[in-house]
Amino acid sequence: MAGTALAPGKVRVKTTSAMRGHRSRIALVNAVPVTVFLLVLFVYPIIGVLSLSLKGDNGAFTLHWYADALSGANLSVLVSTLRISAETAVLSLLVGFVLAHAIARMRPVFAALAMLIVVVPHFISALVRTYGWIIMLGEHGLINSLATSVHLPGAPYSLLYNETGVVIGTTSVMLPYTVLVLQGVMRGVDGRLLAAAAGFGASRFTIFTRIYLPLVAPGIGTAGLLSFILCLGYYITPALMGGDKQTVVAALIDQQVMKQDQWNSAAAFGVILLLLTFAGLGVLGLAKLRRKKTAARRSSS
Amino acid sequence: MPERTHTINTGRLSADELAAVLAPQSNAPTGKSLSVRGLRKSYSGTTVVDGVDMDIAAGEFVTFLGSSGSGKTTTLMMLAGFTEPDSGTIAVDGRDITELNPGKRDFGFVFQQYLLFPHMTVEENVAFPLTLRGVPKAEIRRRVGETLEAAGLSKFAGRKPRELSGGQQQRVALCRVLVYRPPIVLMDEPLGALDKKLRDQMQTEIKSIQRELGLTVIYVTHDQEEALVLSDRIAIMKDGRIEQFDTPRGLFEHPRTPFVADFLGAANFLTGKVEESTADGSTPVRLDTGGVLKARAHPCAPGQRVRAAVRPGKLRLVSAEESCCSGTVETAVYVGSLTRITVRLDGAAPGTAPLRIETAAAPPRIGERVCVTADREDVSVFDESDGG
Repeated sequence: MAGTALAPGKVRVKTTSAMRGHRSRIALVNAVPVTVFLLVLFVYPIIGVLSLSLKGDNGAFTLHWYADALSGANLSVLVSTLRISAETAVLSLLVGFVLAHAIARMRPVFAALAMLIVVVPHFISALVRTYGWIIMLGEHGLINSLATSVHLPGAPYSLLYNETGVVIGTTSVMLPYTVLVLQGVMRGVDGRLLAAAAGFGASRFTIFTRIYLPLVAPGIGTAGLLSFILCLGYYITPALMGGDKQTVVAALIDQQVMKQDQWNSAAAFGVILLLLTFAGLGVLGLAKLRRKKTAARRSSS
Repeated sequence: MPERTHTINTGRLSADELAAVLAPQSNAPTGKSLSVRGLRKSYSGTTVVDGVDMDIAAGEFVTFLGSSGSGKTTTLMMLAGFTEPDSGTIAVDGRDITELNPGKRDFGFVFQQYLLFPHMTVEENVAFPLTLRGVPKAEIRRRVGETLEAAGLSKFAGRKPRELSGGQQQRVALCRVLVYRPPIVLMDEPLGALDKKLRDQMQTEIKSIQRELGLTVIYVTHDQEEALVLSDRIAIMKDGRIEQFDTPRGLFEHPRTPFVADFLGAANFLTGKVEESTADGSTPVRLDTGGVLKARAHPCAPGQRVRAAVRPGKLRLVSAEESCCSGTVETAVYVGSLTRITVRLDGAAPGTAPLRIETAAAPPRIGERVCVTADREDVSVFDESDGG
């Protein structure tokens, strides 16, 4: 009796493990197209760019493209790219925080509507959007004519073809990302925690700085870094809304490839941008790892 | 989880220790009195709290007991200041606080969901109310340390709340309140999320701390047993009103409405007509099913239709005598210390519920003819028009 009772169980175990193996093999087969796709269209070109950046005119190994990229005028382009990206990240965080905070407190219908207003411009061609900004920000644009008509001191302002213009443009591009990320985190904050803090006698300022801000901090980090990274390689807006001094790395790459046929140098710039992006992601990853480690250390102590 | 067993073992001890740590060094204010007048609240036309009046003495443990929707939590939230009443006043030691923000009332709150700050360690959580009160750092560290020590939470001081069990989290929430010794502590089903064993233990802790420190505690629960164990007085709530506000014994033995009689424990309801009252001061009720049941004195005219309520444990099976009601045993179930019996009275209309009786005496056989009576002090009388 016992034997017969056991037997089906054994059989079942066997079939399930066999099926599991079968299933994972199928999964592997399913992954083949994606893997091939990524290898051909992503990994191979990157390796190509990398080898291009390390090849001299005579085909021998050299680092002089990198030396070029990191010196003189090229270095200042790199620095201004980093600066514009950082300014954009900070500004889109500030504006995004205010917007996301307002949206997170709205009733669902209005919140959805507000999100739509924030996100929809993103679906419009970047070129069109940028020209929209040019119309708004020009010397006789909407903003300046408004400012002059109410006699604001210093009006009209130069809001175009300088760094201000570039940062305004890139910020508007990055805003949907920061708002989306921040709003998600803010929605997750338990309002009762804030009420509890108020119950203990905390002022609104204290609640904001000691409860709310720390709770949304991970979102702030992610959103800031995201817009920084996206901005590093951004091209159209700086090219159209910046002046001569606002050349960014992406524009430089374009120039070298399209006008000077200088692929090796362009490749070196590309690799540098890629490394900077990785560095940004690395910072984010490290911060997460540190948080996990401290948590682990606490629970083990 | 080994930590958990550890805290269960030390739990009972730590409650007394905690009280001992907190009490002597106190310029600690003991509890304050609270008085509530005409508190009302309605949400979009639905009245949730409909005129609550009560006076709570300093150091008293008062529980709002009621089913969900009875308005008990809304009442507590109005006392706390998280919900604004439509009308009515709340006063602490005679000072009107109706308009004050929650933070200005200096109450302590313990919620069912604990609401510990997830980004702060246990230590930081407990220290939070003190830092808001501008207590010097060294003093904060000392008081937090002592409170955690007494609650058996010292070794968790550096942990985040999510790394603790439910019972530990609730103990932290309790510490976070007790550390600043608020004169009045409001608790909204604080043990609702814990399992039975932990609940019992935490009840003992809460009660002994409250007694030692002389705190005024206002507690909300839907758990009768919890209310009976903890409370000096219980306010039974129904449809936004207080049905009765009394000691547990008072509620049990002298229910003022049929609802209260049935809500706490269970009650058998028997309809009948009041007869001419006798010399012993009791109110004899001629039951519709036949027989007479003597009830305690109740202001009512002879001939008036009433409902008599008797608890299952107060009904006695007797040999036939004049004022008893005869019937037939339908079921008898032995449940350990006593036997649950149902008796169908002779004149009972078909479809009515049989009498429920609990007895520790030798149970009768099923189908046996019995006679049922009760001491008159155990029989409450209500006008038939009273609901419940």
